[in-house]
Amino acid sequence: MESKEAPLTGAEASVALLDAEVARARLADHIVTPSWFFASMGVAIAVQIATTAAGLGDDAPWLIAGGLAVFASVAGIQLARFRRVNGVWLGGFASRVVLGTATAASVSYTVALAAAIWAAYGGHWWLVALWSAVGGAGYALSGGRWMRTYRGDPAAHARGESLAWLALATAAALSGLALLVLNA
Amino acid sequence: MAELDEHLVAPARLRLMTMLTAVSEAEFATVREALDVSDSVLSKHLGALEEVGYVRRHKGVHRGRRTTWISLTPRGRQALIAHVTALQELIDEIPLERTAPPRRSGARR
Repeated sequence: MESKEAPLTGAEASVALLDAEVARARLADHIVTPSWFFASMGVAIAVQIATTAAGLGDDAPWLIAGGLAVFASVAGIQLARFRRVNGVWLGGFASRVVLGTATAASVSYTVALAAAIWAAYGGHWWLVALWSAVGGAGYALSGGRWMRTYRGDPAAHARGESLAWLALATAAALSGLALLVLNA
Repeated sequence: MAELDEHLVAPARLRLMTMLTAVSEAEFATVREALDVSDSVLSKHLGALEEVGYVRRHKGVHRGRRTTWISLTPRGRQALIAHVTALQELIDEIPLERTAPPRRSGARR
């Protein structure tokens, strides 16, 4: 079965490579998100932004913790469903789509969170709701965009950030939130 | 000139390794169905690739039953890149009038 006794010709190499790439593309095309995935993630992010802004505006840390718990629960459930439905684990999906490290997701989230917090300090609760919805929608749209990008070049996007990077980013985010709570 | 990797010349192994670049890890049955091979054939290929350190297997649970999860190792990824480079060099040697099937980007990774 090993190669040494029968070297490949160029034509055979071409067929073998194309065949392998087709198999990879087929696998990537069969990977789907669970039902209501983007809607639930968008809502979870909107809730998390709204509760963080309201918690800071109203000096209610329990609201912030509640919003984070909602997001963590939805993210955990959806990741487990993704793994069960597809029979694969995609690090890129977990970090870029669920944890929002894709550029569009992180930018839209940061802008929406900052605007919602500013609105909460001013007592503009309708603006808090609006920016929370914008943040959730941006997160969901970014996730859909990432899936299309992944299918176009699965090998380049399959892997996510390292666990060390994610731990550092999470620690930085929680530290920033703690500072906001302490200064509120 | 890059050399073909004797462990990756079998088409099923090249397909398996290339498929694994699209995921962080995959469950045994998912890979078996994607490759359209039997349990024993896949186990044999996995055993050979694991022996040279190209893939890693670990036990886990999928849909409530115990199963095996498979992933590429960094060494396997490097070996695949080198093997694909060697294949592309072979393809480049084909005279222009015998046009090869169109190549897609990404197999290098």
